[in-house]
Amino acid sequence: MEKIKGRVFFLGDNIDTDQILPGYAMSVPLNELKKYALKGSQIPDFAEKVSPGDVIIGGKNFGCGSSREQAPVALKDSGVGAVVAATFAMIFRKNSVNIGLPAISSGCTERMKEEIDEGDYVEVDLESGTLLHLESGRTYPLNKFSEPASATLKAGGLIDRVRNILRERGELIDRRETQY
Amino acid sequence: MNIIEQIIAQKAGRKKVKAGDELSVPVDLVLAHDVTGPMAIEQFNKIGAARVYDKDKVAFVIDHNIPSSSVDSRRQHNILRDFHRQTGVKLYQRGEGVIHQVAAEEGLYKKGDIVVGADSHTCTAGAFGAIAIPVGATELAAVMALGTIDMEVPHAFLIKVEGTLRPGVYAKDLILYIIGKFGAHGFTDKAVIFSGDAIVNMSFEEKMTIANMAIEAGAMIGYVDQGEPIGAIAGTCVIQASDLEPQIACPYSPDNVKLVKEVEGTPITQVVIGSCTNGRISDLEIAAGVLKDKSISDAVTMIVIPASKRIAEQMEQKNLTKIFRDAGAIIANPGCGPCFGAHQGLLSAEDTAVSTTNRNFPGRMGHKEAKVYLASPRVAAESAIAGSIVDPKNVTSWEG
Ligand code: SF4
Repeated sequence: MEKIKGRVFFLGDNIDTDQILPGYAMSVPLNELKKYALKGSQIPDFAEKVSPGDVIIGGKNFGCGSSREQAPVALKDSGVGAVVAATFAMIFRKNSVNIGLPAISSGCTERMKEEIDEGDYVEVDLESGTLLHLESGRTYPLNKFSEPASATLKAGGLIDRVRNILRERGELIDRRETQY
Repeated sequence: MNIIEQIIAQKAGRKKVKAGDELSVPVDLVLAHDVTGPMAIEQFNKIGAARVYDKDKVAFVIDHNIPSSSVDSRRQHNILRDFHRQTGVKLYQRGEGVIHQVAAEEGLYKKGDIVVGADSHTCTAGAFGAIAIPVGATELAAVMALGTIDMEVPHAFLIKVEGTLRPGVYAKDLILYIIGKFGAHGFTDKAVIFSGDAIVNMSFEEKMTIANMAIEAGAMIGYVDQGEPIGAIAGTCVIQASDLEPQIACPYSPDNVKLVKEVEGTPITQVVIGSCTNGRISDLEIAAGVLKDKSISDAVTMIVIPASKRIAEQMEQKNLTKIFRDAGAIIANPGCGPCFGAHQGLLSAEDTAVSTTNRNFPGRMGHKEAKVYLASPRVAAESAIAGSIVDPKNVTSWEG
């Protein structure tokens, strides 16, 4: 897996899916979700600030609340390269991984908050499970993904992982032209 | 291993699993409805699988907007209808009723099965001893293609309810009490096991009411004791059923639970009896018992929605339909009705409703300022007559 490099945005504990993507944005066309990324949070202008590869570092219970898959989609489409948090709500973590957005827990988020400034550049290496603070050269361990989650991320998301599995079994057809 | 771990281990073909393990488990039933199904089908088409893993294990139920409430909702129906024609998956499109009720009546929920549903109240299947997991559209699509789901074995919490509920106190009061006690995030990512003689002796209808609202306390899985050993559970709580009084969830969250007597007298303008929580025949009998030979208040619009076509039939056979009509209620077709705010009884800002459904978040049943109180069918029916919230024990004409 490629390394993810970008600037850091910090968020606190219990960032729920309403903060990540407010309910009123659920009905906007899928390709516009990114405009509403973190609209309900303490960084309401996140969508304008974020650049491709940026990393969100949150606290406990990140992504709690409703199970809307659109929430991680909004973050990913806005450019977020990875979300690191002390703990995740399981459905959010699964939804993130399923759409190809690494959601990684770490026991060091408190230390990161103390030692890294918002906007500093970091590099997330999913292979070795580390976050590198480029300015100081310090590294912080990240928890390892489970095997299925790591396979999903390597494939670029669940759709592609399932495609790969089916291809191996010879059970793949391309019917994307079929309109249901 | 506790019962949840045992079921998962057996399905996954492992000798032993423990909480936190992530593994791939074969799925016995895949469910979606007319709101979540179309997006899952779109994702399924992106995958490009040659077929659905087992057409007899996939079922779609058109229940949320039926008959269609908008042009878009009709389009959603048509996506499901086309997919059904092309793949042979089951489709319930004749107003059979709410997804979780229809699945139960059709015998699709089986003890020890793994059920995956694109609906947050998939946990209702726990009443039948199934392990039921709610998922997003992409995951549902993957399960339709592969027939397996990657899941994390959850930590379990055991709630034991002992003794007997008092007359006028129902399964709905019990689950509301539990949600109020533990809060909306009380069981986040956990499997909650409901046990104790008060639960084990309940009817399946009542067990469904309990399991249905496990998600309102954040649970990933709600499981009702089926009589086999539960095994050792770290977290346990014991509740004495006879201590309970009628409960009500106040605006704007299902965990904002109070005793009905604390809000007694609050004026109301609508009553809804129905949904996958409390739209079954026993619920309708309780409500009809209250409404027989009575009229609902002029201030109130009352909507009765049987949770399924079969329940509607029973309602007619038992003459409940006439009781409701004579009292002034509107009887809607089986389905979700106004439960999630799409049609058939939406509220405006100045409305206050008592509803037997499961959620009262802002905007859930119409305008975001409309107030929805969640309660038992008994409280709902008595409040409909009074035009304000009634604590049932103050009304002695009906003895549960
Ligand atoms: S009745 Fe309400 S809670 Fe139940 S499935 Fe329908 S919309 Fe969801």
